[in-house]
Amino acid sequence: MTDAPITDAWIRRLNLLQLVVAGIIVLTPTLWMVLSSLKPSFEVTAYPPTLIFAPTLENYAQLTKTTPFLSYAINSLIVTIGSTALGLLFGIPAAFAVSWTRISWPAILTLAARMAPGTLFLLPWYVMFRQVGMIGSYTALILSHAVITLPIVIWVLLPSFDGIPRSVFEAAQVDGCSVTRILWRIALPLVASGVAVASILAFVFSWNYFLFALVLSNGDSKTLIAAAFNFIGEGSTQWGALMAAATLIALPPLILAALVQRWLVSGLTLGAVKG
Amino acid sequence: MSEAAATFTEDRQRLELAALSAPAVIFTVAMIAFPVVYTVWLGLHSFSSTGKQSFVGLANYSRLLADTEFWHGLWVTIALYVLSLVLQLVFGVWLALVLFHAKRLPGIVRSLFISPFMMPPVVAGMMWLVILDPSLGAANYILQSLGLPPSEWLASPVWVIPTVALIDTWQWTPYVALIVLGGLQSLPPSVYEAAQIDGASAFKTFQRITLPLLLPTIVTATILRSVDLLRFFDIIYITTQGGPGNASNTLNIYGFRVGFEFFNIGYASALMLTLTAIVFGAVLAFNRLRGAVAW
Repeated sequence: MTDAPITDAWIRRLNLLQLVVAGIIVLTPTLWMVLSSLKPSFEVTAYPPTLIFAPTLENYAQLTKTTPFLSYAINSLIVTIGSTALGLLFGIPAAFAVSWTRISWPAILTLAARMAPGTLFLLPWYVMFRQVGMIGSYTALILSHAVITLPIVIWVLLPSFDGIPRSVFEAAQVDGCSVTRILWRIALPLVASGVAVASILAFVFSWNYFLFALVLSNGDSKTLIAAAFNFIGEGSTQWGALMAAATLIALPPLILAALVQRWLVSGLTLGAVKG
Repeated sequence: MSEAAATFTEDRQRLELAALSAPAVIFTVAMIAFPVVYTVWLGLHSFSSTGKQSFVGLANYSRLLADTEFWHGLWVTIALYVLSLVLQLVFGVWLALVLFHAKRLPGIVRSLFISPFMMPPVVAGMMWLVILDPSLGAANYILQSLGLPPSEWLASPVWVIPTVALIDTWQWTPYVALIVLGGLQSLPPSVYEAAQIDGASAFKTFQRITLPLLLPTIVTATILRSVDLLRFFDIIYITTQGGPGNASNTLNIYGFRVGFEFFNIGYASALMLTLTAIVFGAVLAFNRLRGAVAW
């Protein structure tokens, strides 16, 4: 088999070619969005589309001038950080208890909640929040988004807690440590990286979530994602500003995901695959 | 330690563990279980414009069976679901194999590949809205330069479903690929070595060995995608709101509009509960399938 090394080299080249093709398909639309956001307004809608142009930030300037972009961004941050914190606060002890007792229904309950269509809860939430005058409040938005973050935290942390040898806990118990103390003093520091991944994933998916804010936020509390919908309606020809908005909205999750991409796989599949 | 003291510690421990999961459970029951029960109640009532409610039993459900818009929505949901799922599984397995054979990918390359599904679906919808614009979009320019006829894309009642499926496939194929890649990496290398000694071709090895071993992982990916695809909402609401006409009016979009645009709360509740039953039915069915293909 004298030709085996040649075949190997060809297979490797063919694979690299496929990788490049896949990369181009994956990246081109995003690249086009960023390029469009940097085009002078008269060139964004030029046909045929131009690839070479003098880049400008005028679309970004126009966006901040004509819309309360910054205050929408602050709304998004408040809701996202609030719901992530709430998810961690409730999720960390729950994941620990499930891992300890092997009684898994609390974890499954939160996951089932995540699987149902959001519109199912939105209707009663709308009715109930309206009755207590909470439509448009940060509290309503944070509570609704915590429904997204809680199962992420629990299911990302479960395998981490499972990975701690039982003998560590037993030794602490012999020393008279209560379960709660074991969680905060011993187990939590051991799963710190898991907590980091859980926080980032919770942040990303809360930031990205559209449906709840569409109904539960109003003029003053609108999140960026919900406001993006209005940008489309307002300026169907203002492509430059629209793409500038899209780029800015996509930036925080993309940066965070890049930071922890190595550990994301198992978290993204909610523990279904050990990555 | 005496026996009584031991039982005391055990009881205390059980209590502490219950207290640890209590906040998550109470929160979920308050935010989900109670509202779902409320939705069931709403679905059995009819609400007049003055807000007066009356018990109508299963009338909302029999109305649903006679509602052509419901059946149309079901058809759109299923068409979009099947098309997107098949595309994402085929391309996802392909991409996973490509990534698997490219040993030691730099972190930046991995980041780029996960970027589509890490960005908000709303952003994906916005960018494709511009790319697919029928008169000024880059997609039609590329088609025309290749000598192909331009498409109306999202504005065409015929092409809107395939186009939405295409956008979702762009966004979520890398996600399926990552799951399948995880499955590939957990396969024992001895399997491949045995096949190589037997002189099996690369395609035969894939068809006879890799694919069957990957089936559980593929079913897992199917479950995770099914949950999202059957309640398809974001990209459609951003790009077409169910249009043109009602061509992309999925059940989730239809239920949302009945509830929040027409304020027909009773009927919307019935619609949403039906969709939820479909989603959970699919999850349970695929979960059984996963048990059947496990090895």
